[in-house]
Amino acid sequence: MEWNPQNLQTLSDCFFNTLSPLPEPRHQAEAILSDFSQKPNYGLAVLRLVAEPNVADQIRQAASVNFKNHLKVRWAPAPNSDEPSIMDAEKEQIKALIVSLMLNATPKIQGQLSEALVLIGKHDFPRLWPTLLPELIASLQKASQAGDYASINGILGTANSIFKKFRYEYKTNDLLLDLKYCLDNFAAPLLEIFLKTANLIDAAANAGGGDSAALKPLFESQRLCCRIFYSLNFQELPEFFEDHMNEWMNEQRKYLATSYPALESSPDGLALVDELRAAVCENINLYMEKNEEEFQAYLNGFALAVWNLLTSVSQASSRDQLAVTAIKFLTTVSTSVHHNLFAGDGVIPQICQGIVIPNVRLRDEDEELFDMNYIEFIRRDMEGSDLDTRRRIACELLKGIATNYKQQVTNLVSVQIQNLLSSFATNPSVNWKDKDCAIYLVVSLATKKAGGTSVSTDLVDVQSFFGSVIVPELQSQNVNGYPMLKAESNVVHSYAASCIEKLLLVKDECGTARYTSVDISPVLLQLMNNLFEALQFPESEENQYVMKCIMRVLGVADISREIAGPCITGLTLILNKACENPKNPVFNHYVFESVAVLVKRACGKDASLISIFETNLFPSIQKILVEDVQEFYPYALQLLAQLVELNRPPIPQSYMQVFPMLLSPESWRKASNVPALVRLLQAFLQKAPHELNQEGRLRQVLEIFNKLLSARSTDEQGFYVLNTVVESLDFNVIAPYIGQIWSALFTVLQSRQTGKFIKSLLIFMSLFLVKHGSTNLVDSMNGIQANLFLVILGQFWISNLRLITGVIETKLTAVASTRLLCESQSLLDAAAVEQWGKMLNSIVTLVSRTEQDRVEEDPEMPDIAENAGYSATFVRLHNAGKSEDDPLKDIRDAKEFLVTSLARLSALSPGRYPQIISQYVEPANQAELLRLCNSYNCQIV
Amino acid sequence: MADDNMASHRRDPIKSSVGNVAGQRRRQNAITVGKERRESLVRAKRLCRVGTNGDSVDPLDSEMMIDEEQSILEAQTSTAVDELNSAVAHQGKGAWQKRVSALRELRRLLSRSEFPPVDAALKAGAIPLLVQCLSFGSPDEQLLEAAWCLTNIAAGKPEETKALLPALPLLIAHLGEKSSSPVAEQCAWAIGNVAGEGEELRNILLSQGSLPPLARMMLPDKGSTVKTAAWALSNLIKGPNPKAANELIRVEGVLDAIIRHLRKADDELATEVAWVVVYLSALSNIATSMLVKSDVLQLLVERLATSNSLQLLIPVLRGLGNLIAGDSQTTHAVIVPGNEITGNIIDVLVKCLKSEHRVLKKEAAWVLSNIAAGSIEHKQLIYSSEAVPLLIRLLSTAPFDIRKEVAYVLGNLCVSPIAPTEGDGKPTLILEHLVSLVGRGCLPGFIDLVSSADTEAARLGLQFMELVLRGMPNGEGPKLVEKENGIEAMERFQFHENEDLRNMANSLVDKYFGEDYGLDD
Repeated sequence: MEWNPQNLQTLSDCFFNTLSPLPEPRHQAEAILSDFSQKPNYGLAVLRLVAEPNVADQIRQAASVNFKNHLKVRWAPAPNSDEPSIMDAEKEQIKALIVSLMLNATPKIQGQLSEALVLIGKHDFPRLWPTLLPELIASLQKASQAGDYASINGILGTANSIFKKFRYEYKTNDLLLDLKYCLDNFAAPLLEIFLKTANLIDAAANAGGGDSAALKPLFESQRLCCRIFYSLNFQELPEFFEDHMNEWMNEQRKYLATSYPALESSPDGLALVDELRAAVCENINLYMEKNEEEFQAYLNGFALAVWNLLTSVSQASSRDQLAVTAIKFLTTVSTSVHHNLFAGDGVIPQICQGIVIPNVRLRDEDEELFDMNYIEFIRRDMEGSDLDTRRRIACELLKGIATNYKQQVTNLVSVQIQNLLSSFATNPSVNWKDKDCAIYLVVSLATKKAGGTSVSTDLVDVQSFFGSVIVPELQSQNVNGYPMLKAESNVVHSYAASCIEKLLLVKDECGTARYTSVDISPVLLQLMNNLFEALQFPESEENQYVMKCIMRVLGVADISREIAGPCITGLTLILNKACENPKNPVFNHYVFESVAVLVKRACGKDASLISIFETNLFPSIQKILVEDVQEFYPYALQLLAQLVELNRPPIPQSYMQVFPMLLSPESWRKASNVPALVRLLQAFLQKAPHELNQEGRLRQVLEIFNKLLSARSTDEQGFYVLNTVVESLDFNVIAPYIGQIWSALFTVLQSRQTGKFIKSLLIFMSLFLVKHGSTNLVDSMNGIQANLFLVILGQFWISNLRLITGVIETKLTAVASTRLLCESQSLLDAAAVEQWGKMLNSIVTLVSRTEQDRVEEDPEMPDIAENAGYSATFVRLHNAGKSEDDPLKDIRDAKEFLVTSLARLSALSPGRYPQIISQYVEPANQAELLRLCNSYNCQIV
Repeated sequence: MADDNMASHRRDPIKSSVGNVAGQRRRQNAITVGKERRESLVRAKRLCRVGTNGDSVDPLDSEMMIDEEQSILEAQTSTAVDELNSAVAHQGKGAWQKRVSALRELRRLLSRSEFPPVDAALKAGAIPLLVQCLSFGSPDEQLLEAAWCLTNIAAGKPEETKALLPALPLLIAHLGEKSSSPVAEQCAWAIGNVAGEGEELRNILLSQGSLPPLARMMLPDKGSTVKTAAWALSNLIKGPNPKAANELIRVEGVLDAIIRHLRKADDELATEVAWVVVYLSALSNIATSMLVKSDVLQLLVERLATSNSLQLLIPVLRGLGNLIAGDSQTTHAVIVPGNEITGNIIDVLVKCLKSEHRVLKKEAAWVLSNIAAGSIEHKQLIYSSEAVPLLIRLLSTAPFDIRKEVAYVLGNLCVSPIAPTEGDGKPTLILEHLVSLVGRGCLPGFIDLVSSADTEAARLGLQFMELVLRGMPNGEGPKLVEKENGIEAMERFQFHENEDLRNMANSLVDKYFGEDYGLDD
């Protein structure tokens, strides 16, 4: 796309229209832009438009977003993507422009360009973009001289983003080379700007506080410096930072120990200072963990500063992040070799009183959250440790201290718990938070007994604690006795559902479930009623805990007709409602899982129930498929497959309505649909082979295969179709088509030697062989062209066998190859000894070496799940599914199969094979073969 | 990349994301961003304050100046350079005596304090004068003094070291056999300092041909010269390019000299030679296989067993480790369980594990981890040795870096070197070792690693957890992991940016702690 006034105008108009509230001009503009984006230099043109001062700000903003998205797709497209990559020349120009454009842009555009720059950096930095770091450094120095903190922070923010990879990638030589490059160039300028800004802050503080508007960018700058410090120090302690530890540490400690009233008097100012402090805590935590020897000299100073800070950090939730990182630092110290910092008299009680208990206690914010946002409350309260809360980290600190001072901690905390409980007892309605605090301490400090079905703790006697503290609350009739401990609330009914759900999972020592249908039966009807009713409460319409409990109960209880009826009606209602606007994927998953388990268990007991399910579910399934509700598409297909399988042939006509959809290539194009489509196709092929063979449907299936095969990006899906057909149908059904299938495959093979295709083809041929025999394989191939089989064997099979990955795939191809070797006359022929020997060599390589040793990493071979991209990914319904099918269940071990087959074969003509082996099999593989023979007690004579 | 064999670690294939702990770990030193270990840091550049050969030290020099004002020293230095300037210009009678005494004065000033006035000397223009004093045919005494001055200038800051560039060709020329040995040694010292500065200067020195004459200086048995030459060589071959190390081992007689010195020399010389072995074995495959086939392994083990000098033990241990990590085929032919040397190696490593010194502990664990990656017999040997109780204790009490090395040893002890015969491509367990080590309490140590900030340590922890989950009899694994808060530790990776770790942790959680759908199955 050329850069001229006309194009500039067209582009601006388009971007203007993309902002239009009217759908029509908007769609039109988007379509034009999408066309333009196919042209070379489009990205460059948009970037220039962004920099064009005469263009309206909103247009430039829209362009900057578009530019970023364009790069996201086109800078380094995935190898098997159909998107073309931006040309190198255009890339170079973009890289030359973007830094200065970003720095001079308005904040909103700067944000977009900075993200774009990071996208480029992810791929190109540092090796393909050697000018970036020098340019950033030069700009930093210039901005620093000018005291231009908007630019300084833009540069530091960018550097922070591009250095982040040092925080999570493995320490490989490549990564260390990149890191060394960044350190060699950036470590010194970073320290320089950090110290310079530190001086400015000190000067302002000494001059009586300074003005907050001037201080803010300085603190932001220091925070960014600290985050960069974290990235650059993450892998190991770099020499430069060790040499300048004094400067770095002294300044950082200052920020923990000093207060800055000019900023801290306002909430956003305080947040800024706290963010810097939290960044400092992350840094010292890192040093404490990994470089405690070098850091030791600073430890006491920091520990004191953190301690003081924590006793003064208020309960306000705005300071959570700081409190959590600060406590984390103390926790790291408590478990380190320097834990004796906690050994002093009275230290542990002080920490317990001053830091732990205040942070475990419920705060007003928690109460508010309990009422206003129950989902968030639950998430923080009971879910994964990826979420840091003050309560949790405070308990972690206690556990940390207890690793070295167990007795002291235990004594202290049990007294504390008793105190809290008696304080509650004296005035329950006022001191109810004390009880909550006590319960939280007990629950989070208790150690689960191995097996997870019981807990023990030295803090209290669990049995009597449960009996005296918990049970009375559950039994008392006053539901709203105290806020939060127990109340009519979404939190409480979620917890009740969750509790039942968990109880049904409890297993006794011998592995059997503790609670069975017998325990549920007496209350089943009431339980189901209450559960469905709970889904009527405001805000609990999509309560995943309740839904999960429904699924669990249906999986355990005896499902009678009386239960099945209302349940399927209720679930269908919910399902239909969810179709309108799918929101909560977890909830939806449990809805489908509940339906599946209900169908499975009810029909298992009483096959006649299927018609009730069909009547109820068909409209919903139809709706999902017809209206193309993407989120539910794979689920609907799985339910359908389940129903097909539960039917006795002949399949009701209503099912055949689905066939056109199943046979439309459009359905197969989305990788995320494929597993479920395969599953459905399998069900049809197995339950209705006859119907499939009518009205040219099989031909249609093979046409889908052809379509999918023709495009690089979908050829893998094509093989799924083909494999399903070949696996499910008899040879005489396939025979009329097989010639065309081979022709199609070998035509593609001539032009497409991607790892993915080669692998899929080999697997297909192997599957064909194990299902229909080697003779059919060889003959049908030779039917296309005389002797074609040996050509394919020599040029394709033998050389590519080693590329196979995956356990089932490896076994399948190894067994198939072994069978060829031992069964196929064309290979056993005296004229084919060389092929025979080389084939054996490849098989031995395949079965004896690890994937790493055999297969060069092929970026083109992503798993099907990975390549699903942003669209709905496939989620297997456990209750509607069958497990991954191994086509060779009766063969356990491919190695054993190989050597026993060889032994049998060689016994027929002794003396023949050892010679071929010594001539054509690599020495290492010969040794391996011998080893295998020995370990399976076989002999090749 | 430094060497063919040192390409980046390959990623485990996606399918077997919970992979093999036993992969042998490469030799150290290819690329570092950290400081060189401090014990070697003091070695990189050295000030020459007392002459290499006793007789050139006059009584005045041996009483060190105490706390002389830096500014006075600097002023004197400028004057001394000026004197030298006029001495060099002076062509008449007594010219060389004049030059030598001017040089000696400058050299004294440059040797007096820990912080020699290098800057002042450079500013006054010392380098061109000193280069002139190195010209061919000059008397030994003059050469010696000039090289000494240059030595101490080169011991300064990076840019001061770089100032020696014009002097390098002559310094190298005087290394040759024709020079007297004090002169050659002093020049070697100066060159050693230059080489210690960094890769760029090393490359210049190498391209100017400094390596062969330095290598030949290692051949005789003259203690002082050999020591200085070995030290300079160890700086020169530091890499990361392995070319110099490859070149050095090919110089005729060098391997024999290394063996001879390791066998007979005192601790001090042995230390320098051991550093040469460290860099040879870290960088050059050729050198590694030659060293392994010689007596060097045996000699290193003997040194480790008999010496208590930390300065010596560090390079000896690291050299030993590099040899073991470097050439697994040959090494495993030498370190055969049952051979005397093998038992001795384990003994000296245990000695190092018990040492107070952190570096020795860490490196000993590193060496053990590579031996533990060997055959079943190697694993059994370590497993039944005195090392295991030490390792288990270190896993819970030692600082992080040692714990990580120790974890590699213990992890490797639990996986079989034999490729899995069936199924899922996961490593085969050595159940006896796993059960016993877990029974002795090592699981929490691994779970701590999972929670650490270090990605490599986290991966190791996850791999071990996988062994426990899969291997412990009677389905104890999941219970043990849950009890030690392993689930929480894994949940941290649920959304981690490192894809490999994320997949490993998530698939373990799914597989062993996932939704228990199949209640009625």
